[in-house]
Amino acid sequence: MSDTINETITPVSQRESLVEIKDLWVEYRIDGGVVHAVNGVSLKIHKGESLGLVGETGAGKTSIAKSILRVLPDPPSRIAGGEIYMDGENMLKLPEHSMRKIRGKKISMIFQDPMTALNPTKTVGAQIAEAIILHEKMSKAEAAIRATEMLETVGITKERYTDYPHQFSGGMKQRVVIAMAMACRPELLLADEPTTALDVTVQAQILDMMTNLKKETGTSVLMITHDLGIVAETCDSVAVVYAGEIVEYGSMTEIFDDPRHPYTVGLFGSLPSIDSKELRLKPIQGMMPDPMNLPSGCKFSPRCPYADENCKCAVPSDVTVGGTHIAKCFKAGEKKA
Amino acid sequence: MTPILETKNLKKYFKTKKGMLHAVDGIDLSIQRGRTLGVVGESGCGKSTLGRTILHLLEPTEGSMRFNGKDITKVSPKELAQLREHMQIIFQDPFSSLNPRMTVSEILVEPLIISGKFTREEIEKKRVELLDTVGLPKRYANSYPHELDGGRRQRIGIGRALALEPDFIVCDEPVSALDVSIQAQILNLLQDLQEQRGLTYVFITHDLSVVKHISHDIMVMYLGQMVEQAPSEELFAHTYHPYTKALLSAIPVPNAHKRMQRILLKGEITSPVNPAPGCRFYSRCPYACEECKNPQRIEQVAPGHFISCCQARKINNL
Repeated sequence: MSDTINETITPVSQRESLVEIKDLWVEYRIDGGVVHAVNGVSLKIHKGESLGLVGETGAGKTSIAKSILRVLPDPPSRIAGGEIYMDGENMLKLPEHSMRKIRGKKISMIFQDPMTALNPTKTVGAQIAEAIILHEKMSKAEAAIRATEMLETVGITKERYTDYPHQFSGGMKQRVVIAMAMACRPELLLADEPTTALDVTVQAQILDMMTNLKKETGTSVLMITHDLGIVAETCDSVAVVYAGEIVEYGSMTEIFDDPRHPYTVGLFGSLPSIDSKELRLKPIQGMMPDPMNLPSGCKFSPRCPYADENCKCAVPSDVTVGGTHIAKCFKAGEKKA
Repeated sequence: MTPILETKNLKKYFKTKKGMLHAVDGIDLSIQRGRTLGVVGESGCGKSTLGRTILHLLEPTEGSMRFNGKDITKVSPKELAQLREHMQIIFQDPFSSLNPRMTVSEILVEPLIISGKFTREEIEKKRVELLDTVGLPKRYANSYPHELDGGRRQRIGIGRALALEPDFIVCDEPVSALDVSIQAQILNLLQDLQEQRGLTYVFITHDLSVVKHISHDIMVMYLGQMVEQAPSEELFAHTYHPYTKALLSAIPVPNAHKRMQRILLKGEITSPVNPAPGCRFYSRCPYACEECKNPQRIEQVAPGHFISCCQARKINNL
């Protein structure tokens, strides 16, 4: 049923970066305090690469993606610090009208829930064409032709151009959303849990289609997911997010074959496996920390089986394990079982 | 040995404007005490309706059910109340299934108060015991559900189901709303409880790796019908039904070097309203032929391994 894959990918160090996030901080001000959602994230997304952003609910994955597009609701959220570069420009400093030219053109985003991402009062064709007219110098007729092509690319027949979102099933709606996002051939696609709301057989269709689309267009993808299986199948590199920090980063094989951060190890231990029969899972103890009241020292230390006194007071910095592989852990040098 | 639960040709139809919706359509199952039957399928396949029909949260349209050898297809309200002491349910959504106006300990002991068989002292004792059983610290006894996170809330749901010490629990997607690290904690808890108390579970889920981990036997459903059923190990080692094959191949594997040979299905699940008499998987099946338009028979292909597919022998060279 399974076979080994041997794809040659350009080493990440030799690739050009498309978007570079430097020391990003995001906070939400709510009654009773400040939620620290993103705490000093630095990350490079390279040209043509698929980067998986993995973590659990509340880790700050979506906040990172929304910061890139600057679509965080302000208030209550606020980018408290950092820089995000694309084409040598700090996007966080750009005026709003310049950002509007980037959204949907250079960078676009697909959301988890295709049901709420579409306008129920417009036909799907018109919604795709809208994005094209906004960004490309095209007449309405030309945009309609391009929109029809996009529909066909995502596997929807052109007869359905004039159908409304409610006439589509969940998987088909997500195809429409992807067609819309890809209509202007963006350089970066932010995919926020694009298949979480779908059944597995439909998820397989969508992932397959996205992989093919990416091959054709060379678009970089930031794949936000909690599913390590999806990361293994679609991503070249992986960033693991915990409590608003990237605790481990590396190529897909580095992370999957030799995870060094205890949180990453814990995530793998929590997964029931389809191949082997383990009698008991090895879950991570405890719960995600309260983002309004983060622990001192290493944020994972209260749940970490390897933590000692030092971990509880000192904040670990990035430790290079080898190649591009980095882990934010004092004990990253040790192999974790 | 008498199975703890047995259903024969169980059906649950819903009347809709467009016609009869065949949510559960002729399910035969039999579960031995202390075992876990995993019921797996995609949204709309009728797995939750099946669980709810077994518990009389929905009344069956046709067919029969036996619990511990006793016919429970038709029960009076009084009999039902007694039955509920033996069968309980854990719901998927730990947010909407707990009364927001009740404290944790009130929720936990409510079943005891309703049953009317316990003295005040016994209830007080149970209050503490139940928190301990599901691994919640005592300080949460007087908290309200909204103060707790999803994993802890699900522990309350489990505690409430255990209050009357039932033998049989329907777990309706109990971990689907939880993050993986919390999901693993809850799965371990359910397994420990089964070992300690000899509980029988019907474990409903759409997640095949979870179902494989926790179940002794697995039933795969598609549009209200059983398509394949086998002991867990057997099902994963020898998958015969085209739908099960596609379903298994669709799971993304968290391994850097392994890829399943993926079988991509055409289209999406069809409507369960007034379905045609033949195989329900017909329109999406890569092996579909004229013969499949006839009603399907359930066949045993190996000990305990049942399939409902007229082409299965040909496809798998059986």
